[in-house]
Amino acid sequence: MRDSDALDNNPHISRSALEAIHSQVYGWAFSRCDFDHATAEDLMQQAYVELLSGNARFDNKSTLRTFVFSVVQNLARSRFRRVSSRLRLVKKYHRESTVEHVETTEPPADDGVWRAVRALPARQRDIIELVFCRELTIEQASAVMGVTTGTGRVHYDRAKKALRERLQDWAEEE
Amino acid sequence: MQNSDKGLRDQVRQGWVSNGDAEPSFETTWQAAQQRHAAGRQHYRRFAGAAAVVAAVVIAMYAQPPAGETYIEVADLLESTYWTAPSDALLPDRQFDIYQDMPVIFESTKPAGGALL
Repeated sequence: MRDSDALDNNPHISRSALEAIHSQVYGWAFSRCDFDHATAEDLMQQAYVELLSGNARFDNKSTLRTFVFSVVQNLARSRFRRVSSRLRLVKKYHRESTVEHVETTEPPADDGVWRAVRALPARQRDIIELVFCRELTIEQASAVMGVTTGTGRVHYDRAKKALRERLQDWAEEE
Repeated sequence: MQNSDKGLRDQVRQGWVSNGDAEPSFETTWQAAQQRHAAGRQHYRRFAGAAAVVAAVVIAMYAQPPAGETYIEVADLLESTYWTAPSDALLPDRQFDIYQDMPVIFESTKPAGGALL
């Protein structure tokens, strides 16, 4: 079935469906860019370009939200790889270079929970964000992260355990 | 366990960063993406056009069929070159015609140092 506002190169995606999940996807992109609005906006545009061009093709095997989250995740990863390889080159040739410094917006909420989440390893932090804040199931979150559901569960359990311990420690300190 | 998970989830949600006021609207992002997509396609078309032109030129230059077999006319070839006897080149100041003017061959029976002169 083809919606009236379906994309030409992605017939299973409609513009209105994307609009409905725009805010959630932006939140995910925002956290992928270390909470920098400009980079998140650029990442969102890039993700939409991938959908418009059909480079990222949705085939209804998962929910649209999971799929678009994965696109954003992959784009953020490849961007991070490019930046890392440039930094490696700079280090290799010992060139004095003015590496573009991205000003990141400090998260407004800076309570214990936030600090505890930020202190988690990347994968644990990702799955906690996806399951707790973006309301994805562990299966969906694992798909977004590109890991098996079993691995996702392990990250999820470890993340919860680590969070509880840290929160408990801080509560005792206070 | 379920309750403690829910408590943890609520805590994390409360502490999580909201997207903030700077979140761009869908319309703005979508239009920018469409422009980027169109610009990308235009760029691709230009590149493909240039590549096609280059390919056509290369094919025209190297894959042209031969115009037809051509033969060399002997008369033309002879006019374009000449032949000189090696003796003419080696002995430009020849003093006699080896065929007409037989030189006087010296004959001697006088030995000199064990050999005939």
